[in-house]
Amino acid sequence: MAIRRPRTQSPISRRQFLLRSGALGAAGLSLPPLLAACGGGDSDTAPASGAVTPADGGGNSLFFENFPVYIDTTADGTLGTVDRFKQATGVDMRYSEAINDNNEYFAKIQPILGTGDTIGPDILVSTGWLTARLIRLGWVDKLPLDRVPNLANLEDGLKNPTWDPAGEYSLPWQTVLVGIAYNVDATGRDLGSVDDLFDPELRGKIGMNTEMRDTMGLLMLGLGIDPSTVTSFNDAAPAFERLERAKQDGQIRAFHGNDYFDDLASGNFAACVGWSGDILQLTLDNPSLRFVIPEQGGMRGVDNMVMPRGARNREAAARWMDFVYDPVQAAQITAAVQYISPVKGVQEELAKIDEALATHPLLFPDAATSARLNSFADLTEEVEQEFDEAFSRITGA
Amino acid sequence: MTAVAPSLPPGEPSLEFRLARRADRYGLWGLIGAGVLLVAIGAGWVTGPLATLALVLVLGIILALIGVAIIGGPEARRILAPYGLLKPGTLWLALFYLAPLWTLLRISLSSKESRFSIDYQFTWEVSNYVVAFTEFGPQFARAFLYAGTATLLTIAIGYPLAYVIAFRGGKYRNILIGLVVVPFFTSYLIRTIAWSFILADSGIVVSTFDRLHLVGVLEMLQIMDNGRLLNTPAAVIGGLTYNFLPFMVLPIYVSLEKIDVRLVDAAKDLYSTTAATFRKVVLPLSLPGVFAGTLLTFIPAAGDFVNAQFLGSPLTTMIGNSIQDQFLVQNNQPLASAMSFVLMFIIIVLVVIYSRFFGTQDLA
Repeated sequence: MAIRRPRTQSPISRRQFLLRSGALGAAGLSLPPLLAACGGGDSDTAPASGAVTPADGGGNSLFFENFPVYIDTTADGTLGTVDRFKQATGVDMRYSEAINDNNEYFAKIQPILGTGDTIGPDILVSTGWLTARLIRLGWVDKLPLDRVPNLANLEDGLKNPTWDPAGEYSLPWQTVLVGIAYNVDATGRDLGSVDDLFDPELRGKIGMNTEMRDTMGLLMLGLGIDPSTVTSFNDAAPAFERLERAKQDGQIRAFHGNDYFDDLASGNFAACVGWSGDILQLTLDNPSLRFVIPEQGGMRGVDNMVMPRGARNREAAARWMDFVYDPVQAAQITAAVQYISPVKGVQEELAKIDEALATHPLLFPDAATSARLNSFADLTEEVEQEFDEAFSRITGA
Repeated sequence: MTAVAPSLPPGEPSLEFRLARRADRYGLWGLIGAGVLLVAIGAGWVTGPLATLALVLVLGIILALIGVAIIGGPEARRILAPYGLLKPGTLWLALFYLAPLWTLLRISLSSKESRFSIDYQFTWEVSNYVVAFTEFGPQFARAFLYAGTATLLTIAIGYPLAYVIAFRGGKYRNILIGLVVVPFFTSYLIRTIAWSFILADSGIVVSTFDRLHLVGVLEMLQIMDNGRLLNTPAAVIGGLTYNFLPFMVLPIYVSLEKIDVRLVDAAKDLYSTTAATFRKVVLPLSLPGVFAGTLLTFIPAAGDFVNAQFLGSPLTTMIGNSIQDQFLVQNNQPLASAMSFVLMFIIIVLVVIYSRFFGTQDLA
């Protein structure tokens, strides 16, 4: 490891993002087959062209706010999903990667949505627990799912999630696996256990995620506590104590949000709490980076599309959701972000793009892997506050 | 500022005369009245049509004073001039400093129904201050320790630099001072993040230390920790020092540059050694610059959160990080406001003590 890479969210898609505008012009050659693919794929795009209903603010513009590096982007003559959507529907879509961290983003939108005003994005992506909170607060609208025929492609296991039992307010974007990400150059060995994060050899080289449920979930698993059934703070207290001790010992170098790639790639972090797709993407550039579901088990979280209250472009939003729930389109996203797709039929489509990915256990977990994955329990508002406050005391801010 | 009463003309005093005689009172009360009205608007004491009325009143006061100045003649204008000059600054501070400060004070004594609600109930919630004092002691301590150390370092680095530029800079003085300011052309954030690259474990600094076999020594001095420099207290203090250095150099340079070199010559004529000349002539004359530089460095550094955020670790968080976290992540604005007030209070106390001992009014 000699020189650090410039601080970008990801080597692939930032570059692609910058190239997007230029590539748009250059992409003319590859457009026709793509459009053909869209048209022939399903019943999705055909009705869209004639279905513009101006009643809800028009179907011609859309603002989608997402986590960084969470979609395929236009590069090397290949159109990203956003641009394919624009081409297919003529919708003027704005795509933003402004969400770095659920908590930060919530704090940003809270004073606006709380006063009854509406925020800019028509669709935003929020992790399950935040989706639950937004629904509880009444800050999201029901999705126009009756205009999303491809809803039929939603994986059965994701219908009726605990945060949205009727499945009216949220539609999964991707499922994220939480495990240990490490840089084998810095650790000098393969890691496989939560206890490795507390290895004194790695003192000062461990990153922990600011996403409370991801970090605490792994730590609880490490202590044999089941995070999917936790109901009170006392159940989880030993994990918090362990984290606090590790902080006091100088074991933890930093708490990080979505911005851990560079620290991991440069070896500042020998290991950290990481997300599967990020590491799989980064591995292409840096084979020293590894992702492992610890032997004690890993966490799983679902990020959802929701429409903040008062979002205007419902028609365009429906068309977008329908578009990304077409397995042909979804497979493109999966090939780029390498997370678990919520769309049925992606595996078959992905096999046409990348055979190896289509059988990758982290993208399509088999029964044995799935059995090792846990979802964090739904916490009541009071218990959640206890967890958040205890966690914030440790993160030291 | 009592006006010298113009000589009394016989008979009924003219309007001009009466206005001029009262101009001092008009000016003062106009200034205070307009300021209070703007605070009332800014702090939300008056809302809706009343706020509009208050704004009209402010404009009325200003127009009335202009009227007095026109009708009252040269004498009234002379008396009103200082009030007129004070007005922009006073009104600006009333609206954008005093009013927000009042709002902050209110919020710091308020409570929220739930942490997601956006309304505050003013409930004399003194417990916010108790929590700010009891739970964030380490963060306060670190903030003042780091800011204090960084201030001393900026003096140690900045004073010689300013000295050389002022006395040996010659015709390059302006260029050299310009170079001190050049980093400001880049964003504060970018400069700080750049340091995280420079100090990275695989970065140039650490690998140089490694080659020179200095790592062991630096670890013993607790500057490095387990082979790393980034995310240590040293990195945070270093970042603060780097970022605030120009604020120290500029005032010191200004006060050094003002020194009459003939004073130095006179000291030499009186058989003073170079060291004694510096100690007894140059240093005392430059202390106002050091004093100003200290305030400009210490106060913002104590509230800084950027350096601790990018160059620090969970063990080096400063109070600025805590306030930011409470405000923007935990949604606990009342507690964050209380913490801000405690920070402000401590800084004021420290500055008062400091100026008692090093105050340079008689030297300036």
